[in-house]
Amino acid sequence: MSVQVYIPTPFRRATNNKDRVSVEASDVRSLLDELEGHFGGLRGLVRNDRGEVHEHINIYVNSEGIEALQGLETALADGDEVSIIPALAGGAGE
Amino acid sequence: MILSAGEMAQVQAQAEAEYPAECCGVLLLRSDPTVDRMLMPCRNIQDELHSKDPARHPRDSRTAYFIDPKDLLAIGRREAQGYAVAVIYHSHIEAGAYFSPTDRRNALVNGEPAYPDATYVVVSVVAGKAVEARAFVWDPRARDFVARDSEPA
Repeated sequence: MSVQVYIPTPFRRATNNKDRVSVEASDVRSLLDELEGHFGGLRGLVRNDRGEVHEHINIYVNSEGIEALQGLETALADGDEVSIIPALAGGAGE
Repeated sequence: MILSAGEMAQVQAQAEAEYPAECCGVLLLRSDPTVDRMLMPCRNIQDELHSKDPARHPRDSRTAYFIDPKDLLAIGRREAQGYAVAVIYHSHIEAGAYFSPTDRRNALVNGEPAYPDATYVVVSVVAGKAVEARAFVWDPRARDFVARDSEPA
């Protein structure tokens, strides 16, 4: 399955400034494996060393968050768009 | 890139309307084919995170903001249309317009600025009134965020 992946600004250092890449993958887990294999700098940014998606990262397939689908097992279809979105947060104090 | 006077007025109005919660949003900028500035107020979901899991999210929206991922997805879609995140703003409640340690920590990804070209604007809201705004940018030599002139662009 050929899937378009949106790479947000904070991660583009790891993708040679590419904001979109095409990946062949059948589900979200294999998509992340493929991405991290191709762009080593992404390792650790999206998933921890247990392979779990960091809490501050949201992954969408088309417009649906994967937590509302089947998580990393969410199946992908030809032409799907996947977005990897890191949190934007802050606040007063320490 | 800082906010224009009109944009700053909108941000201050949002900050006062959402008091005593911190407000948040971004200014998107596209310069091709024509210059286009788009102020995008965002939803702060910190209270929802705090209610759901107070151990993991000990702060509520009085002292923290967390932009709704749906807004982040919308920002991403605009980026795909040629817009860039030029300004990221939020308010501090009963506190100064400074770039806090929390702001700094969240603005870095593996020690590098998440949005190295963006200006961070912090609005101080005291007793429901926006009283001060300051702007901060990443200084690669200092490897830190530094205050910059916050006069309107």
